[in-house]
This record gives sequence, structure tokens and C-alpha cells, in this order.
Amino acid sequence: MSHIHIDVENLIYAYEKDHQVLKDISFFAEEHDAIGVVGANGAGKSTLLKLLVGLDLNFKGSIRVEEIPLEKETLGKIRERMGYVFQDSEAQLFMTTVEEDVAFAPRNYGLSEGEVEKRVTYALEKVHIEHLRKKPIYKMSGGEKKLASIATILSMTPDIILMDEPSVALDPKNRRNLINILNEFDHLKIIASHDLDFIMDTCNRVILLDGGEIVESGSTDEILKNEELLEMHGLELPLSLYRK
Amino acid sequence: MSKFNQAIYEIQNLDTISKEDKWVNHIHPLIKLFLTVYYIGLVVSFQKYDLEGLCGMCIYPIFVFIIGELSWKEAIYRLRIVLPLVCIVGILNPFFDTNSIAEIGGIAISGGVVSMVTLMIKGIFCILAGYLLIATTSIEEICYGLRKIHIPKIMVTQILLIYRYIFLLLWETKRITQAYALRAPGQKGIHIKAWGPLVGQLLLRSMDRAQEVYESMCIRGFQGEFFIRKRNEKVKGEFIYFIAFLIILLICRIYPIFEVIGGFFL
Repeated sequence: MSHIHIDVENLIYAYEKDHQVLKDISFFAEEHDAIGVVGANGAGKSTLLKLLVGLDLNFKGSIRVEEIPLEKETLGKIRERMGYVFQDSEAQLFMTTVEEDVAFAPRNYGLSEGEVEKRVTYALEKVHIEHLRKKPIYKMSGGEKKLASIATILSMTPDIILMDEPSVALDPKNRRNLINILNEFDHLKIIASHDLDFIMDTCNRVILLDGGEIVESGSTDEILKNEELLEMHGLELPLSLYRK
Repeated sequence: MSKFNQAIYEIQNLDTISKEDKWVNHIHPLIKLFLTVYYIGLVVSFQKYDLEGLCGMCIYPIFVFIIGELSWKEAIYRLRIVLPLVCIVGILNPFFDTNSIAEIGGIAISGGVVSMVTLMIKGIFCILAGYLLIATTSIEEICYGLRKIHIPKIMVTQILLIYRYIFLLLWETKRITQAYALRAPGQKGIHIKAWGPLVGQLLLRSMDRAQEVYESMCIRGFQGEFFIRKRNEKVKGEFIYFIAFLIILLICRIYPIFEVIGGFFL
């Protein structure tokens, strides 16, 4: 039986003809991997994630999810297996209540109301926000919105979770709560962030991007403890390492 | 509270009211939708001088206000912009139709005055019926009802998306005006010179937000149609409510109900 994986080969992407945002990106991610994509602002982290989920198909190279090439015809099939959490929860949550938003994907996939109900309960329980089920989105705090955003993709029961800057705008308590929740998931996770402490706490592998290129990839410890490497590419050691 | 905050608050509040856990909120949206259209149809069908007959139609809004535990004050406050416009309709009637058709305490009432009041009341009743529908039924349920009567899915999806994007537009407007106000202390409103760039910014930002929302929908399997929760629950008494109001409103349309009731006391 095949196991879930993403295979990216020679990925090149440009918003404009002469300005490549991603240059020859290749990596392989397999089941249970938690990969942190790090880099300074403008390194191409968010673009890479958006390409992985097929939000733009005008790229060169190949992206394969469990041997299925990412292209227009396979988009629906691949998206069923992938959940993408936006940096801005406001963009992710567009229905009126948490319940309606979490039920949006299962309904689109034609599940029965009974199954939709089960999926919604499962997703809310996973992120420990069952009590927010009926709450209007506009009455929620930033931390609650982030957890609700994650629930909206968990209701699709994805194999792969992609997250763009998940720790942005979270207070320390909500941030810690999110880290704990993410560590409970055994999905293949790809998290783009420049919050290196967050990456340290949630990922076992790191891909370091600079100027749209992978400059280094390896274990989290190997990369995030290398001060010289990080500074060379516009980053700094995680704060937790300074304390030690 | 700024005007934009106020507008956002009012829409959100109406949204919350429509989802409350009251009997009237649980009635099938199609019943409420049909009754609203039926009521409006009956109201507009009254002759221009048939004021006493028309007054009998107040029974429906009064009943829904009571069972929905809705506030009259809030309704009038929310409709404060539309109601004066409705009242303006027919304001010229007294000048064109000066024939006296009734007398109250020795004062002759012209046909123009009666037709003006009739038109105003018709407008008020129709707007109240619309308000009562949206105050007791969420936008998703209204759209569900529309789909049930085979309104094309593209139209229903448009209604839902417009509703969603109104919020985005208001939020972006609020952000931009707040940013402007913080850098223009003591200035009332927005200077006319700044309108161009601000409207441009608003358009671009709203498009960006709308694009993100659309992407979020696509990622979650959206393929052009909003699937709205299918209703399995049957609310006790909703069919009786429907039939009763079909009959009561028809009776009110045919017989001047206040005149009939008054006749018992004379």
C-alpha cells in the first residue's frame, strides 16, 4: 500500500517573466514528517505553500502528491487530501458561525448531513473548541479564529496539512496551545514561518529558503542551531536557544 | 462608534438575531419566504382609497414581532433610512387629487391625502415584511429556500457571496478610514483630495481579500455552488402556521376586518 508523500522536483515559479520567486526547488516529504519552511521575508515561503496546494498552476517543474501530478485535472483529488491554513484567519473563515465554516468542505464533497455532523464534531474536538461550535466568527478572538481555521481543514480529514505563519498574532498561551495541538497530529505537516521557536517546537525537519532557493535542508536541530548559517540568510537563532 | 463600526455591528447583530433559538426562527424558510411574498402581494393589491382594509393587514407583522420576540424600537431604528423614503412616495398626491371623499370632525379629507397615507402604509408594511423575514431567517436558510423553489444556483450563490463580501468591504473601509483618521487629527471626515487614493486602495484591498476568501473556498472543494445545510427537522405547528396565515391574510384582504369588528360594537 502506498503511503502519503509529496515529491517536488525542480520547481520554478515567477510572478513576472524576469523575476523568479522560486528557483529550482526540490524536496521530498513523507508521512508523519513535520517540515518547517523558514526564511526571511520575501524568501518564497508562502508562494511555495500556495503552489503545493495548487492555488497557481503556472509553475515549471513537478509537484506530485502520492504519485499524482498536480495539474488542473487532478486538483480536486489532491485538494481533498490537503488542508491549507492561511496566514490570515479572516480570509479562511467566511461563513457566519464556526459550525457552518467547518461544515463547508464536507458539504462540498457531497457527504450526507449525518457524516457532515460527525466530521464537524471530530474537527472541533481535535482542536478543543467544541464549545465554540455555534459562535459567530466575528465574536471570536484571534486565537480562537486560528483554531477554528485549523478545524475547517481537519473536517476534510486531510493527510497533509500546510500552514502559513500559524503563530502570527497569537498570544503566548494560544501559541503554546497551538503547538500542543499540532504535536498531537500525525499528519504530514509543512509549516512556513519565520517564528523559529515555533518551528523548533513543532517540526523535525527544516528547509531554509533564501531568495527563492533552498540553501539548506536537514534536521531541525542541525539548521536552527547553526547561528552562522541563519545570520547569513537573514535569520537569527531561536530565542529559546539564547536563553540556554 | 464610527459609522462603519455601526454598520458592521448592525449587520452582524441582525445576523445573530436571525439565528436565535426561537420557534419562529426554526420554521421552514420556504414557509416564511412564501408567506412574505404572499403578504406583500396582498398588501400592494389594495385600492388606493382602501385605507381601512389595508390597516387590517397589520395583523401579520404584529404577530411575527410578538412570536419572534423582536423589538419594534430596533426595527424602526434599523429601517430609519428606508422608512422616510417610503413616506415620500405619494407625497404629491394631495396636490393632484383634491376631491373630498371623507370627513373627520367636520374637516374634509381629500382623496389625495387618503391615497398618500395608503401608499405610505403599503410601503411600511412591505418593508416590515422583508425585515421580519431576514430577522427570523438566516441568509443561508433564505438561499436554501430559494434553491428549493428552483431559483438557479448561480443566482443563489451570487446572493450569498454578495452578503459575504459586504462584510469584507465594510471591514476594509473601516481600516482605511481609521488609518486616515489617526494621521489627520482634528479633521472632520475625509478631505476631498484624499478620496481618490482612498477609494483606489479600498478597491485593491477588497479585491485582495475577496481573492483570499475565494482561494479558501476553492481549497475546500468549492466548485461554484454553496451547499447549504439540508433541513431534516420538522417544526411542530409550522404547517398550521402557514395555512392559518394564508387564510387569515386572505380574509383580511377580502373583508375590512376593523370595520367588521367595529360593527359588532355599534
